[in-house]
Amino acid sequence: MKQTLYLAWRYLAYHRVKTLILVFSITLIVYLPIGLRVLVDQSSQQLTARAEATPLVVGAKGSPLELVLNTLYFRSDYPELMRYEQATRISSSQLATAIPMYVRFNAQGHPIVGTSYEYFEYRGLEIVAGRQLGILGECVLGSRVAEALDVGPGDFVISSPESVFDLAGVYPLRMRVAGVLGFSDTADDDAIFVDVRTTWIIQGLGHGHQDLTRPEAAASVLTRDSSNVVGNAAVVQYNEITEDNIDSFHFHGDISQNPLTAVIALPPDQKSSALLQGRYQGDDEVAQISRPVTVMNELLGTILTVQSFITAGAVIVGIATLATAALVFMLSLRLRRREIETLFKIGGSRLSVASVMTSEIVAVLLAGVILAGGLTFLTSQFGSAAIRAFIRM
Amino acid sequence: MSQWTRRGLAALALAAVLAGCGEQRRSDTAGSVERDDDGKLTVYVVDYPLQYFAQRIGGDLVQVEFPAPADVDPAYWSPDADVVSRYQSADLILLNGAGYAKWVSTATLPISKLVDTSVEITDRLITVEDATTHSHGPVGEHSHGEVAFTTWLDPTLALDQAHAIRQAFASALPEGEEAFHQRFDSLADDLLALDARLRDFFAGIGDRPLLASHPVYQYMARHYELNLASVHFEPDEYPSENAWWDLGKLLAEHPAEWMLWEGEPMAETSSTLAELGVRSVVFDPCGNAPEQGDYLTVMRENVSNLIEVFGG
Repeated sequence: MKQTLYLAWRYLAYHRVKTLILVFSITLIVYLPIGLRVLVDQSSQQLTARAEATPLVVGAKGSPLELVLNTLYFRSDYPELMRYEQATRISSSQLATAIPMYVRFNAQGHPIVGTSYEYFEYRGLEIVAGRQLGILGECVLGSRVAEALDVGPGDFVISSPESVFDLAGVYPLRMRVAGVLGFSDTADDDAIFVDVRTTWIIQGLGHGHQDLTRPEAAASVLTRDSSNVVGNAAVVQYNEITEDNIDSFHFHGDISQNPLTAVIALPPDQKSSALLQGRYQGDDEVAQISRPVTVMNELLGTILTVQSFITAGAVIVGIATLATAALVFMLSLRLRRREIETLFKIGGSRLSVASVMTSEIVAVLLAGVILAGGLTFLTSQFGSAAIRAFIRM
Repeated sequence: MSQWTRRGLAALALAAVLAGCGEQRRSDTAGSVERDDDGKLTVYVVDYPLQYFAQRIGGDLVQVEFPAPADVDPAYWSPDADVVSRYQSADLILLNGAGYAKWVSTATLPISKLVDTSVEITDRLITVEDATTHSHGPVGEHSHGEVAFTTWLDPTLALDQAHAIRQAFASALPEGEEAFHQRFDSLADDLLALDARLRDFFAGIGDRPLLASHPVYQYMARHYELNLASVHFEPDEYPSENAWWDLGKLLAEHPAEWMLWEGEPMAETSSTLAELGVRSVVFDPCGNAPEQGDYLTVMRENVSNLIEVFGG
């Protein structure tokens, strides 16, 4: 047996290029469908985990997919806007805890997530440097944002205008970094979190300015009578909220009419969840309620369809490759006829010769399968992280 | 765009989504009240009357915290980041509502833990009518108008606020509901007795003109139908010449003989007022914790002060 394996080994080593090509081909044949499956399964679990951790999302009527992607992953265009009163409506119902979400603006390419203090508790996000949000105008950074922008507590992040042509619209707001969140390996790592009212200030729905009734603001006053002071274009509006000017910040109109992209609803039990969902079934209802897990499963269903096409393609290519490999082995046998005859002439039995040939084939197949197994293991460990790193490059 | 096209595009966006879809940790239901090891609710308040009501109703089931320093007016106090952090960690945060404690509107506090004790009395809140309006930018004319906030000086409003506290406690700690109910009844009896005493006294005043050193007695004046006008005098500052001139004009139309003060005024101020025929009497609104006694004893002392100067 030892001699048989030695002969097979020597043959493979001598024809190393042919052997390597065969091993590589078999590795790919085995790895491609399995590795893809592992990657998709892993990604599906991750996607579903975040969706399952978010029981209900309420938003304006429109695409549930956009609503969920924007609310959970801070991706996609922002969905139709709804009013803050929807958050109050959920809280007042006492059927769920309401977490307002306003994910519309960004700073240096990172989404600004306007939300409430409850979001951090709910997602289990811990501050690792600095402190939590304290006042309006402060922000807390996801770990990857802090790393990418190289900023920390006490530094500043400036919101980006929505459009360079919107000169009268969104003013950049200089936001002080209060703290940095620990790494969570979620979309939260790539976000900048602020109080939802700070996003309204970014949008211009609230602002701070010098007190027009004070003498030092005389240059900014257009007209003044006993009950009204009209400011001119020189009124100094603050683009940063500090302890000195925070008292001048205020919102105009009814805050309940201010915009949100979504409300995350956290019902305490199934009954409350069912009752809350029932309240959004009316024809005249302006809001929709979505179960993120359902929406994501529909999306994953589409992805799995795509995956099955890829798998089918990989299987066809695999069959073709195996057939080619079989052909290579058969041709190889024909080319090695004289070698085989020599083996017979020097006393090798038919069984011994067959064993040598079989050992060569098994060794090649085994090497390919082992390599594919190793690659699959690496994929299961580092696949998702590698894709994320590649995309961020 | 067809649904399948949209889904196809969404599927192609999988890779992009993967960039942010790592392992998700889930905490327990947000907003649920997590109590201390001793089982007490930790409650933070924004003024002293709320602290008093909460302590009376909560008893030994509630730990009430009011971190404002004793020498500040809580209405205009702003806590630093550390104190805000303590508020954030509370089980419940009791707000007076009516715009009291302006810092609340610019601080990041857990919304699910906020209890606006004035939410059931919004239709009875008083808007300050002489707030100056101004115009700038696209918003047009507007004011940062204010609502009178010393609601607790009308004991019936205070009772409604106490009722809101009882409900919040019972919701957060259902096993204590019976105890909260009993203690609330006791507090209600005290507040109604105070109301009866003030009503009896002010009935004797009738529509005689009165002055207030500060516009903080609006709810009391409305409830007891007082003929009260306000100026802006500080107990620890001698008023400016302009302020005296304005007072003279006011007295011509509103010939008051008494001015209610939040605290003991300077002797010099009292003397000048006396020359104008106006005597001073302290009616402490008790927004911050008193050096001695509690909300009820301060209010009873206020009544005693009034009886002493006006006669019982």
